Amino acid sequence: MQLSLLAIALNGLCAPLLWRILPRQALWLLALVPAGCFAWFVSVIPLVAGGEVLTSSVAWVPLLDVTFTLRLDGLALLFALLITGIGALIVLYSGGYLSGHPHLGRFYAYLLIFMLGMLGLVLADDMMVMFVFWELTSISSYLLISFENTRPEARRAALQALLITAGGGLALLAGFVLLGIAGQNWQFSGLDAAVVQGSTLFPWIMALVLIGCFTKSAQVPFHIWLPNAMNAPTPVSAYLHSATMVKAGIYLLARLNPTLGGGVTWSSILIGIGALTALVGAVLAIRQYDLKRMLAYTTVTVLGQLTMLIGTNTNYGLQAFVLYLVAHSLYKGALFMAIGAVDHATGTRDLRRLGGLFAVMPFTGVAVGLAAFSNAGLPPFFGFIAKEFKYSGLIELGAIGWAVTIVMILTNALLFAAAGLIFIRAFLGRRPQYPTAPHEVSPFMWLGALLLAIGGLGLGIWNHWPEAWLVNTAVLAISTGPVDVHLYLWGGITPAVIASVLTMALGVLFYLQADRVRWLANQLDRFWRVSGDILWDGFLVRVFQLAGAVAGNFQHGSLRAHVALLATVLSLSMLGGLWLIQAPLLPAEPLTPLTLPGIVGALLALGGAAGAALKSGRLALVASLAASGLGLALFYLSVSAPDVALTQLMVETLTVVFLAVVLRRMPGLPSVASGSGRNRRWQAIAACTVGVAVTLMIMATVSQPLPGNIADWLIDNSLPGGHGMNVVNVILVDFRALDTLGETLVVALAALATSTLLGAGQAADVRPKGLPEFGSVLLRQGMRPLAGIMLAVSLMILWRGHNYPGGGFIGGLVAATGFALLILTFGRGIQRGLGRVPPTLIIALGVACAGGAGLGAILLGEPYMTSQWVAPFGVKLGTPLLFDLGVFLTVFGSVAHMLRNLVGRAS
Amino acid sequence: MEWVAAVTAGSMAGLGIWMMLDQHLIRVVLGITVFSNAVNLGVLAAGRHVGEAPAFIAPGVDAAALVNPLPQALVLTAIVIGFALFVFALSILKRTYELHGKNDTDQVTAVVEQPAPDGQENGVEQGGTLDVDERDPSAGERE
Repeated sequence: MQLSLLAIALNGLCAPLLWRILPRQALWLLALVPAGCFAWFVSVIPLVAGGEVLTSSVAWVPLLDVTFTLRLDGLALLFALLITGIGALIVLYSGGYLSGHPHLGRFYAYLLIFMLGMLGLVLADDMMVMFVFWELTSISSYLLISFENTRPEARRAALQALLITAGGGLALLAGFVLLGIAGQNWQFSGLDAAVVQGSTLFPWIMALVLIGCFTKSAQVPFHIWLPNAMNAPTPVSAYLHSATMVKAGIYLLARLNPTLGGGVTWSSILIGIGALTALVGAVLAIRQYDLKRMLAYTTVTVLGQLTMLIGTNTNYGLQAFVLYLVAHSLYKGALFMAIGAVDHATGTRDLRRLGGLFAVMPFTGVAVGLAAFSNAGLPPFFGFIAKEFKYSGLIELGAIGWAVTIVMILTNALLFAAAGLIFIRAFLGRRPQYPTAPHEVSPFMWLGALLLAIGGLGLGIWNHWPEAWLVNTAVLAISTGPVDVHLYLWGGITPAVIASVLTMALGVLFYLQADRVRWLANQLDRFWRVSGDILWDGFLVRVFQLAGAVAGNFQHGSLRAHVALLATVLSLSMLGGLWLIQAPLLPAEPLTPLTLPGIVGALLALGGAAGAALKSGRLALVASLAASGLGLALFYLSVSAPDVALTQLMVETLTVVFLAVVLRRMPGLPSVASGSGRNRRWQAIAACTVGVAVTLMIMATVSQPLPGNIADWLIDNSLPGGHGMNVVNVILVDFRALDTLGETLVVALAALATSTLLGAGQAADVRPKGLPEFGSVLLRQGMRPLAGIMLAVSLMILWRGHNYPGGGFIGGLVAATGFALLILTFGRGIQRGLGRVPPTLIIALGVACAGGAGLGAILLGEPYMTSQWVAPFGVKLGTPLLFDLGVFLTVFGSVAHMLRNLVGRAS
Repeated sequence: MEWVAAVTAGSMAGLGIWMMLDQHLIRVVLGITVFSNAVNLGVLAAGRHVGEAPAFIAPGVDAAALVNPLPQALVLTAIVIGFALFVFALSILKRTYELHGKNDTDQVTAVVEQPAPDGQENGVEQGGTLDVDERDPSAGERE
């Protein structure tokens, strides 16, 4: 089973390539896989018919209990046969129908991916797996409907279908989640009806699942997408929108019938909506002149009838459901394919312009004739048996059943008339002028239709065969008790037979009076005026308006308003949290004593920040910010954090350089006092609130005893486990290496984004000329050796970082500072030294080093980033060192890249 | 020491927000740096400053006397990332000035901001064309 899914998936992915290489043979090769799957499913019929259920299971998301479970029972087998069998024929048919189309390869890919989705949908036993396949069918249907994407109608129809079915899909997902919670089980086969129906969630589950099924299977009021979907190429209409995809909702209803069904609500909703859908579809169908649209509406009718039959939940009803499902797939697939052939051969599918085609298109004619007879429900076709069972199933229901039966007779009579119109009007009678000379189509195009139509006849005549092998087990899968299916063509004079005769009589009447019926249907003019499509457009307009209003109110574009909102929410949540937990602000244990350097550092940091906030001269701003950073570095040093202090120091140096480079081309700031007083007041209030909140937050935090003993673990394991004395560095490159990898990637991405923002790719100023401020000869001569020394120092910092203060980050920053000196002095075009290596290459090398350092562990069967050590000649070397080198290169490359771009661009 | 760190971090955070609320884009960019410095300091303080010696372990060193190394590792990378973010903000500042010659956030907004692509007028217009051009074909068959 899994193999069949895999084969079809591969088939779909290879289709465009195969079609490009072997345009002639691709058709056969591509049809081979579905045909092979069909053969396999045929071969397991005896097994399944013997009551066996084939399952296979692979864990997929074990943490969420999602297993890739496939389960082949009678119902799934029935669908699988239809999907692969009709699918193979459709692949051949599309080859003829779209022969010479420039995107045929793409079409095959979509079609086969759909086949994968549909087959997975019916085979899946896990709800989540099924949902994934369910969405796959929606998406591939979207791609297929809009295949001729130059036509606006096709695009609109595709979007409409997608919005409706995927919207329903969301409801279904919610329904599945609730069902899984209520049923304590995520497998369809493991759901217990009593548990689910006893749950308080049951009404919600039912409503959500029904919405999902009804949208997918085009039940009123969601039916509007199906006729529009006829904008797709005809093979798609034949396959997706009559034989398979639209039956996915029906399939799910049937699958869940044993779990959700049995109650009055379930039955009345299904019967009510089903009957309404059938009626609406039939009335709309008879109005059409376009044969394809007519078929689409008859499909709506049939889908309604199928829904209704599940709702009956009686023996006969469920049997009729299975029979009708098969019969419909066969004859509707055949009719669609044949209509496509007619369209192809004559250039029209307008009923008023067709006639007398039988003589020129004999094979297609036979196919349409046979399919139309089955459609009309004439004996001895399979459609007849299906219809008989339908009536029997409904009549079993009593009074409501009779009422519904009358609807049924009416709709079936309309279907009968439609079948007659399709066959007799188009193929018999006088032959009018055609847009193109009619001719028989290629065998590819009539073969599929003929085979399906003959199938409908064969299953009817030798009806013991489907009875024994297919129908029985399928009905077993969807009903609760044991059933015995006995198919017959003639069962004596029963109410069903009388209903059947009545249907035919009415059908003949409707056919003969077709124009009058159509006129009558058109009298419901007011009804069409409010019909679904126009409502849908109105609905879309409202949705756009709502989205526009929401977006307009939140994305107002004012930076100040955004920051103000953020600051308010931030401080309120902090203060609210503090108030909630009632944390004491006084420490429980003695705090660390004050030190002079710490206080000086803090004062400097604070004073610098205040200067940056209040000063307006550019030089003052740069100096204040630098002072603030230096103060912080001093503070870090005083609290025994040398690595952090070093990093802060280097970053602060570079910050000054960057800021100076940018600000020297800009005017100064206006004085702080500018701006309206009211705004200033609010600004101050917001800032003070945040400040107070942050202060209180940290105080409350440090007043609690430090929970856990992570620090002890890290310190204890640093030397034995990480072979490093510098615990901070060991944490960075070993214990939390994956985190560090992510953080270096952020730095690299920021560098790349900066260059994009500054117009990388545009002609940059590459003259080897530094900033005029560095024009002194002495300076220029001194710079080179200084930069060289800094590079050497940075490498040393990198090397000793595992045991002493330093490491990749600090080393990279030191090297970048050296590079900054070079760039400022000689311009971004420096021809010697590191200037020749593009920084992006250094970044790439660094990321490769850091990411690659963890790969060795995988080869040794350990988790990614587990450190590995060797000690040749007494020198301890390990992957953390390689990792640190990667960090070094990434940080250095990133800063160099940013600097080059900021300095070198002509303003 | 923790109290000093708390007050300093809080005041710097307040100053940072105050700067970010400024009309002038240069001040906003500086505010980002001040604010991220404040947060770094806060994270380090949250790890407590208990312990006399830096976190360097060697045979014979009393592990209990060392400071908590974890927040240091967190803050170290945060400083570098904060720097990268600062440069990114700087390049936005530079680009904005190059394109618009202004650094006032509200004015730049007024110049740059386009109406939302799925905005109200747009939606009505689009819906309108749908209504007229692409109506249900069956609606046309009435005549």
